[in-house]
Amino acid sequence: MLRKKAFSLLAGLFAVALVLSGCSGSEDASSDGKKVIKFMHLWPEGSSKKHHDIVENIITDFEKEHKDVKVEVEVLSNEQYKDKMKVLSASGELPDVGMTWSAGYLEPYANGGKFATLDDLLEGDLKDSFVSGTTEAYQVDGKTYGLPLELNIASVYYNKAIFKENGVEAPKTYDELIKVVETLDKKGVEPIALGNKDKWTGSLWYMYLADRIGGTKALNSAIDRSGSFEDPALVSAAEKVQELVDANAFVDGFNGLSDEEAKSMFMNEQAAMYLIATWDLPNYTTNEDVPQEFRDSVGFFDFPSVDGKGDMNSYVGGPGVGLFVSESSDVKEEAKEFVSFFTQEWGEKSVTDAGVIPATKVDGESLDLPQMYVDVLDKLNSATNITLYADVQLSADVAQVHLDQIQALFGKEATPEDFAKTHEQALSK
Amino acid sequence: MSKVMSNKWIIAIYVLPALLLISILIFIPLLLTGYYGLMDWDGVSAMEFIGLENYITALQDSLFWDSAWHSVLLALFSALSLAIYLTIALILASKIKGANLLRKIYLIPMLLSSVAIAQLWIKVYNPSNGILSTVLGWFGAEKAPLWLSDTSIVLYAIFIPILWQYAGFYILIYYAALKNIPESLIEAAKIDGATPLQIALKIKLPLIMGVVKVTIVLAIVGSLKYFDLIYVMTGGGPNGASEVMASYMYKLAFSTSNFGYGSAIGFLLLLITLIVTLVINKLTASKDKIQY
Amino acid sequence: MARLGKLLLYISLALVAVFQIFPIIWLFLFSLKSNQEIFGGSPFALPAEFRWENYLKVWEGGIGLYFFNSIWITGVAIILTVLLASMAAFAITRMQWKYSKLVLGLFMIGLMIPIHSALIPLFNMFLNVNLIDNPWSIVITYTAYNLPITMMILLGFYTTFPREIEEAAIIDGSSVHRMFFRIILPMSMPILSTAVIINMIYNWNEFVFVNTFISSDQYKTLTVGIQNFIGQYMTDWGAIGATLIISFLPLLLAFIFFSNKVIEGLSSSAVKG
Repeated sequence: MLRKKAFSLLAGLFAVALVLSGCSGSEDASSDGKKVIKFMHLWPEGSSKKHHDIVENIITDFEKEHKDVKVEVEVLSNEQYKDKMKVLSASGELPDVGMTWSAGYLEPYANGGKFATLDDLLEGDLKDSFVSGTTEAYQVDGKTYGLPLELNIASVYYNKAIFKENGVEAPKTYDELIKVVETLDKKGVEPIALGNKDKWTGSLWYMYLADRIGGTKALNSAIDRSGSFEDPALVSAAEKVQELVDANAFVDGFNGLSDEEAKSMFMNEQAAMYLIATWDLPNYTTNEDVPQEFRDSVGFFDFPSVDGKGDMNSYVGGPGVGLFVSESSDVKEEAKEFVSFFTQEWGEKSVTDAGVIPATKVDGESLDLPQMYVDVLDKLNSATNITLYADVQLSADVAQVHLDQIQALFGKEATPEDFAKTHEQALSK
Repeated sequence: MSKVMSNKWIIAIYVLPALLLISILIFIPLLLTGYYGLMDWDGVSAMEFIGLENYITALQDSLFWDSAWHSVLLALFSALSLAIYLTIALILASKIKGANLLRKIYLIPMLLSSVAIAQLWIKVYNPSNGILSTVLGWFGAEKAPLWLSDTSIVLYAIFIPILWQYAGFYILIYYAALKNIPESLIEAAKIDGATPLQIALKIKLPLIMGVVKVTIVLAIVGSLKYFDLIYVMTGGGPNGASEVMASYMYKLAFSTSNFGYGSAIGFLLLLITLIVTLVINKLTASKDKIQY
Repeated sequence: MARLGKLLLYISLALVAVFQIFPIIWLFLFSLKSNQEIFGGSPFALPAEFRWENYLKVWEGGIGLYFFNSIWITGVAIILTVLLASMAAFAITRMQWKYSKLVLGLFMIGLMIPIHSALIPLFNMFLNVNLIDNPWSIVITYTAYNLPITMMILLGFYTTFPREIEEAAIIDGSSVHRMFFRIILPMSMPILSTAVIINMIYNWNEFVFVNTFISSDQYKTLTVGIQNFIGQYMTDWGAIGATLIISFLPLLLAFIFFSNKVIEGLSSSAVKG
């Protein structure tokens, strides 16, 4: 009796499954003769709704203008996207258009001939549209392999209300920062939200300290091998990191907290400061899910100078994700057109609709933007230098060493000297 | 009888489908992993054959041995915790009221995915807003231990959610096995005047030894290749304090461009698991088969 | 004295139960709280109002399709796995042949492979037979990867199965097939149900394979679909709680259903023994 039940259940499920899989024609070229562009991106509807919606609109517009092309989309969240890219590239199955990061991430793909060069687009439709310096990060040996969509700079965001309550002001120098930290700590307020489980968050702090103490040259020359990572400025920056740790600047258990958890603390007024890049701007300006009161009380200040040194107009930041075209794509022409179209439309819509800064030039005046935006755009326009995030600049292997070392440094398991030495060794390989 | 029971064709029909499936979907990837370990490959460009270099490097890699040590510690904890599960199952199986309900409750944590469990326990361990810190605060503790960021306790902190997750599973298996013991045997022993403890140790335990051996292997193999929960909770950190072999392998293969080396580590993980299993089997070899 | 012992016993069992279930209750409670309560108030406080809107937020993302995929993929894979595993376990333990131990060893090796190693080889394989983005690739992968553990669970049971029943059946002139399907299988219901539960849990919560082999939204399962939501709500613990509860509820219901079967089976076989 039971067997009969099991059999009918099995038969039923099989039937359903057969019907369903019979409908899986997705891997064949579209039957109505259209060309298909496979596009993969990392802005899922749940976690990045605004981005996702813009992409949907762009695709619809593109298909309207190019009636003979269809765009098939696959969406993954960040970590899953990276994993899948690895598997796809190993099997030679990269999508026609996809997203990539610059510098270190891009290199193997460029050198391995997986990405197509996009210089023709830069000389054509997209001439002069990009903020200077952004496409350079996507170049290998002088050829461009990706076009950036985002541009970010990191600043220290702070809760003005908490500051006022405790009688402190936004610091302009490192010494002032330490005093702010000490005052807040004495009053039982967590000074800085930091989620260093993710490691790149701590890296931001280190990079800014290195930039202020050693100038823009120090870090960059260590990385491009014209200098050494054991440069005293870089060691000194590492020392300052540990000074901050000793002063209880960061929230309890920071080395085990994710960036999101740290962010929650800042957004729920449990910490006074948070060093993060402009991709977070919507949370402090336009995001309706965040209480208005909080948004009104957030401001930002540039990273302080250290011991009188440091150019306040020098930023850590850089281009975020960009688009690539697969070299082995059989719809390369159409794919490139899509990329060009996308970049332009994205440039127009991303600021107003998603609240992020694109890598293409933005005319801040003509758009109706919240004040913080305008301030940030001003900073961007007057920036003297943007140092690309270390973990993006470095090749994958060295980036991993860097990130691990950052966690060790913050956790006081490595001395500043060891920190520098390990980097130097990794870079010399 | 034995003619029927050794009919080659029947045996083939019964065994081949399963064998075929695992050969294609498990063994081939397994062998390929070992093969990729022989290459210098970043997962993107062409592969370059370098023989056993990766394997030799791995054996000299202190990070690898640290991760192996952590995996072994985890495996030991898991095996030891089986004793707790067995005890609970023994108690449950001996006519306790509400045993069924309790059994179900114990299994509930297992229903959550490892990722969900990791997310949940991250919040439990949260220094500012988690349950543990709050409870310890009631007992007057000034600052709760930093469960996930203190390198000396993070591995132990991770063990609790794992214990929590698998308790129900093993209790369920032991319970089913215990319930299979014919009542008549237990009754006979009781009549002979055996105490519950004696019954448990001298009758029940030996009769379910087969199942216990299986669970030991499952627990150890499972913890040696454990990945999901640890990766989400700590990412192997801080500073590698909770890195296990599987997370180290993943890091190498997917986060750096060292896919070849990562594969070598993966293959070594497999070999270590194999060796450990063989050792366990030797140690627990049953000298006689128990017949009814 | 024995009374005290029993009381202590019950208390300890109850404590274990509390330990097992409390975190989940906590999860449920904070899925109904607002962020201010979670971060401002005590973790133990009951929610001031029950914010069911946390659940609405998650549901509106269109989970229905993912649910359906999870259900059928899990179901078919379970049936295949349990069927193939019990046949193989039966043959290995009850039938007499030279290579039974070897084959058993092979299955045990199958337990040991770290999943991530298999991703690229499997992907390539499926690519070559055009099974990428086809849910059947997931079904057979789950079946294969669950065979070892299912077999291990069934093995213990089949080893201690009384010979008399087989002997009686054969004397009665029954074929092996008949004996297996009509007698042994039904009698192994409790252990089969246990195996079903274990398989169900694994398949329902599985993520990596689906993420790698499936690209189209229409074939994605619940776990992958849910991943897309976790991102945004990272700072909104209430919604994370709601997401986790929603994805685990169906499993809970199925579990309650199946474990009742385990009990039915156990009580009937205990009588027989």
